[in-house]
Amino acid sequence: MARRPSGRLTATAILIALSMAVSPSAITPPRIAFTDTKLSNGLRLIVAEDHVAPVFSIAVIYNVGSRDERQGRTGFAHLFEHMMFKGSENVGPGEHFYTIFSNGGTMNGTTNKERTLYFETMPSNQLEAGLFLEADRMRSLAIVQDNLDNQRKAVQEERRQGLDNQPYGRTNEAVDQLAFDNPAYKHSVIGSMEDLSAASTQDVASFFQTYYAPNNAIIAVAGDVTTAGVRALARKYFESIPAQPAPPAVDITETPQASERRLSLEDPLARLPRLDVSYRIPSDLSPDGDAVEVLSLVLSSGRSSRFYENIVRQKQLAVNLNAFAPESRGPRLLRIIATPTPGKSLDDLEAAIEAEIGRVQGGPIADWEMDKARNTARRQLVAGLGQSLSRAIQLAQFALVFNDPGRINTAYERLTKVTAADVQRVAKQYLTRENRSVIVTRPAPPAPKGGL
Amino acid sequence: MIRTSPAVAGGLTATLLLAATLLAQDPPSPTQGVVKKGKVPVSREILKVKLPKPVEADLPNGVHLLVLEDHRLPQISFQIFVPGAGGYGDPADQPGLASFVAAMMREGTATRTSEQISQQLEVMAATLNVTAGMASLESTISGSCLSDQFDGLIDITADVLLHPSFPDQEIARYTQRTRAGLSQQRANPGFLAAEMFARGVYGTHPAARLSPTVAALDKTTHDALTAFHRAHYVPDHAGIAIAGDISMAAARKLIETKLAAWNKAGVPPMTVSEPAALGGPKIFFIGRPNSVQTNLIVGTQAITRTNPEYDVLQVMNKVIGGGPTGRLFIHLREEKGYTYGASSSLSAPMYRGDWSAATSVRSEVTEPALRDLLAEVALLRDQPVSDTELADAKRSMIASFALSLESPAQLLNYYVTRWRYGLAADYWDRYPERVSAVTAAQIQAAARTYLAADRMQVVAVGDPARVADTLKKLGAVETYDADGKLVP
Repeated sequence: MARRPSGRLTATAILIALSMAVSPSAITPPRIAFTDTKLSNGLRLIVAEDHVAPVFSIAVIYNVGSRDERQGRTGFAHLFEHMMFKGSENVGPGEHFYTIFSNGGTMNGTTNKERTLYFETMPSNQLEAGLFLEADRMRSLAIVQDNLDNQRKAVQEERRQGLDNQPYGRTNEAVDQLAFDNPAYKHSVIGSMEDLSAASTQDVASFFQTYYAPNNAIIAVAGDVTTAGVRALARKYFESIPAQPAPPAVDITETPQASERRLSLEDPLARLPRLDVSYRIPSDLSPDGDAVEVLSLVLSSGRSSRFYENIVRQKQLAVNLNAFAPESRGPRLLRIIATPTPGKSLDDLEAAIEAEIGRVQGGPIADWEMDKARNTARRQLVAGLGQSLSRAIQLAQFALVFNDPGRINTAYERLTKVTAADVQRVAKQYLTRENRSVIVTRPAPPAPKGGL
Repeated sequence: MIRTSPAVAGGLTATLLLAATLLAQDPPSPTQGVVKKGKVPVSREILKVKLPKPVEADLPNGVHLLVLEDHRLPQISFQIFVPGAGGYGDPADQPGLASFVAAMMREGTATRTSEQISQQLEVMAATLNVTAGMASLESTISGSCLSDQFDGLIDITADVLLHPSFPDQEIARYTQRTRAGLSQQRANPGFLAAEMFARGVYGTHPAARLSPTVAALDKTTHDALTAFHRAHYVPDHAGIAIAGDISMAAARKLIETKLAAWNKAGVPPMTVSEPAALGGPKIFFIGRPNSVQTNLIVGTQAITRTNPEYDVLQVMNKVIGGGPTGRLFIHLREEKGYTYGASSSLSAPMYRGDWSAATSVRSEVTEPALRDLLAEVALLRDQPVSDTELADAKRSMIASFALSLESPAQLLNYYVTRWRYGLAADYWDRYPERVSAVTAAQIQAAARTYLAADRMQVVAVGDPARVADTLKKLGAVETYDADGKLVP
């Protein structure tokens, strides 16, 4: 409690707080057993068998995302993801999702800068159906102009719904454009309307050939299956899909940032201003990744975080203030998003954020803050083990990023080794003025009438 | 990614819209939504699953306790339901009072400051939230933690439930943050549509309220909050549901110890009134300049949770808009490419709730998309659902039960629903049987009754320059601005 000098707390209150803070959980998170093999065509297969519920999940990750897109085709990796639901040799358009939902399952696909993920959760008697569906589209995607045109429209509506018709949509897209120089990471996953309109069936065919090869994919199956059963079915349906030459490597280098970047935007859909501050941080693969994670927890996790307690609650400079660091194997940002309290100045808010960062860099980090970070990591780990889908996705993702699905069992222990000094060091190293990009978004005039 | 639920809903004058000219005006679909080749090796059997049951007990203070013991993971979650403490009972001139009380309960007690509560919870990595929806009949206190922190979590929970202090300073902070939120939400087209739909369907009923007013916020005092808490946070009709790594014996002992001071108040159960019957079909338009899409909601009043036709309406909803297999998604997205998602939902609480279908489409296809939406509703009335479609919808609903076995908290919610609505003891055991028995004729009859054209409400939110005139082709339109004010 010493970090806040206001003296508002009574001695009794401090004692209660301290006594609570010294009881960290003694629970040891359970470990996930799995096998990790490759089929002869290079398809990586991870199986985590358990029988806690009559359910299994499949996660298929293709090592391709928007960073792999060529110039003039932004948004293509995600548009392609939509095509994966439009049919293959033995599966009609839409039959993939129709089959899964009609048999009690759930499924979806999602694309980010670095990977495309497809997944399904089904009752355990449908394992063969799930693997068949994933294999058929990996082998024989149907590439039909009308279906491409249809999904292009759906994706353009996705862009309008999520970005063009929302307050701060342009801001969200501008962050990476401003902060990064590497073209692979600079553009948004959803892409531009023009580039989406330009995508052709030839693009679909060559992208499929290059990136949707078994040797560029990872499948993880978790839940109520037998490892032998999954392997047999995987061999039956996937092993004859031919491997392809490895896709071209992506240049993920980023030239160091020399000075602060600033941008002002006017947003006709917004009613309140917004401040975005983004610092370049090292990739997930860096040894500093765990310390950066704890840093973002100290700054912004929950109402006891420094940002919330000091800037939102005490100083009342902001009504919302969050920091987070999206995962990335390449260039990466620690992002801060703040909505100023109406009537309070954006400059004061920005200064307060800077001051809190300065206090992490210069001042002590309390033991309770480190306990909180460790317990939060432990809690998140345990919560993430409950669903077979979460287990499957984590295993595949750790295999993709670290070539080590076993991180599912060690990520928490790694985080507990981070010290307060580590957190201060990474804060000093990366959260510097020269290393940040700032966007100020203001409602476009004329100011909306009838404000509250 | 596939998304079926946009953040919106709408209401309408349907008779006018469903003229025979509809089909002629409809551009032809270049693609087929779903083509079934039938080669996927699916098991046609529905996996038989047995739902574990909670242990239940009635405590002397009136609390009904449900515990679903599950030791798969070292974690526990709980919910405390306090009927009467939701926004349903807000005084007419104080909309939002219940949600204000709920939000403030974590902001200080007789012995803990707001900051201490947050810090103690977060060091334990425990969550604790108190929420009271604007139209909800109850307040819900929910939390979760690793199992060895449960005593500590319930200790703080009891303090928050029994001894909130409503400090003036925190009241001022909450008011300021909420005022900003009220302004911000008016930038969201989904909110604007949902707000207008609720007004159209529920009129002056409490369910029409989606957010507090600034006036009500500003006049809320420490005394009003304290009085509401004292009157409504009583155990007489409350329920506590606990799922996870704990036994009934241990849970009961903990609850009875920590909540020993939560005494019966002798208040009668709250009564609930129905919304007034709808006057007729209506079209509402909310002008939101610079919009590039139109958010649409079509819907009407429906049924209570205990209505015998509940299962029929659930299957009907599944067929038309319950996810990507629904007709709306397949037709509006997969065939026409009008939208990223289209879906429908049935809300059936203690009072007569609503059925609604929602989508958001690019401005220029507002008219054909709205006509298609209404045509899908008409189709449910005019033609029986095909055998295959009906069988697929039912199988989807029944087979998906297996998935809930992964989550003790979700399982327990089934039993909470049974308790809350006074459903039969074997309600969930017989669910597959009841769903299987639903017929196409029942669905069509229900659609004719509940989704009749003269009951439909339509809401559209979009750019006035591009959409307002289009809507007028469909009937008389009530137009509002984005602040909810009627535009003459």
